[in-house]
Amino acid sequence: MKTQTLFLHLSPLLIPYVSLFCAGVVLAAVQSVGLWSPVPLPSGLGAAYTRLWSSPWFYEMFGFSLYVAFVSALLATGGGTLLACGIWGMPALLRRMSVIYKATLILPHIAIGFIVLVFCSQTGVLASLARLVGMITLPVQFPNILYGGNGFGLILAYTYKEIPFAILMVLGLLAGFDRRLFDCARMLGASRVRIFFRILVPSIAPAMHSAFIILFLYAFGAFDIPYLLGESKPAMLSIEVYNLYFKRDLTNRPLALAMLMLMFCFSVLFIMIYSRVVSSLTARERKL
Amino acid sequence: MKHAVLFGFLLLLFVFPLFVLVGYALDPAWRYPQLFPDHIDFRSLSFLVREAGPLSRHMGGALLYSLSAVVTTLVMCYVPARILARVPFSGRNLLEGFLLAPALVPPMTFAMGLHFMFIKIGLADTLPGVILVVSMYSYPYMLRALIAGFQATGDDYVLCAENLGAGRWTRLIRIEFPMLVPSIMAGGSVVFLVAFSEYFLVFLIGGGAVPSFTGYLFPLLSSSDRSLGSALTLVFVFVPLMLFVMMEWFVGRAYRRMGLDV
Repeated sequence: MKTQTLFLHLSPLLIPYVSLFCAGVVLAAVQSVGLWSPVPLPSGLGAAYTRLWSSPWFYEMFGFSLYVAFVSALLATGGGTLLACGIWGMPALLRRMSVIYKATLILPHIAIGFIVLVFCSQTGVLASLARLVGMITLPVQFPNILYGGNGFGLILAYTYKEIPFAILMVLGLLAGFDRRLFDCARMLGASRVRIFFRILVPSIAPAMHSAFIILFLYAFGAFDIPYLLGESKPAMLSIEVYNLYFKRDLTNRPLALAMLMLMFCFSVLFIMIYSRVVSSLTARERKL
Repeated sequence: MKHAVLFGFLLLLFVFPLFVLVGYALDPAWRYPQLFPDHIDFRSLSFLVREAGPLSRHMGGALLYSLSAVVTTLVMCYVPARILARVPFSGRNLLEGFLLAPALVPPMTFAMGLHFMFIKIGLADTLPGVILVVSMYSYPYMLRALIAGFQATGDDYVLCAENLGAGRWTRLIRIEFPMLVPSIMAGGSVVFLVAFSEYFLVFLIGGGAVPSFTGYLFPLLSSSDRSLGSALTLVFVFVPLMLFVMMEWFVGRAYRRMGLDV
């Protein structure tokens, strides 16, 4: 195929990609250095970046967002994988009925945040349960999961929302897995744990890696759940971006966009490093 | 036995919370420390009936831009996916990686840049603007599903039809497209769900002028009235669920008519 024809055939995607996605990122970058500002800026070009560089709160939020995203993606990928393996091992009828896990997939993030609120607030369903069994007598005695400042509410919401996604990804790969490998390993005397780690995990690892990357980066940059659960100190980066962009002085806009650009660069870097590490690990495994 | 336990756990994890929401919707007075709702009150349900107008306007708006996003992403991705699946050229993997990026990087970055551009060219606060930005964020799912579909089906049937004298359009409509329907459905469902449940992008680009169900839902979820929030969340589950059931049914019937079993 000639290069021209190739480009022509790819153009339905390449044109919107360049004119919307790339242009959007470039426009964010341009505004982040302080150009095209709606109001005259007191400081020079690139001032937003130097200000972020020397702000302890920025590092704190960055670390907090990383922590929430990492823990929730890890829990969701691990839990989802285990559940997917369990579902896969079920008899056919139960397996078909297990599509109920998709209920959470349909719900939007804000609804998941709401469910977490209903269950885990200090006057929620779990608190009522705890009172019934005599663990607490007053709502304040119930652990402050949502606003305790350790991000547990966010982690819980993201994990809950993302487990079905991990199940979906892993089950997709398991569908093509040859069960006879299992029987063979059993006959050769492998233990269950050994079978899980040496046979099952390597063959579903691609799905686990993609699930982890997608979920981690989503939780890192998303806005809906933290906005609803509203933990403000420490805050997720996206919430601070929103506050800077919409709620305060227009001169703060470059700062908001600079934060977004740093998040963007981090995400791109993360994808590159992660896929590099994974491919080198699998290459080493093949050699063994 | 252990399968039943696992199934019970799945029920507890994924279905039980919906029943708790039903409880809240039916009993607005249910609160700590009652463990179960103890009476039925149709206050929240009568709100749904009273608010049927705005409710259906927002639901209709959300369905409109979500379904439009499905069609838009399909049109955007169909031919490029065929190329990416079938034609080897240098830099193909790299290009595919770049094209999948919009689903991974924080959507706020490009959306806030685009917001600036959309204001200048008059697309901000309009339905086409929302459809474009939502499609831009969700098309990678369609692209990935289509590439996988094209790879799985191969081009043998299409070549065979070509040899038998079928024209370009006949091949597309009678051979290629029907074989790809499962992939399109898979990709389309994800695109639909992503678009339908997106709050921030629609809020940013639509600016409140484009009705969206999430935009309608949000103030109610963050208010202290858990009953209303529960009722509307259930509506939220119900509508896409019905859509999926209908789609499965239609496609299944169409396939059986063609004598295929899917």
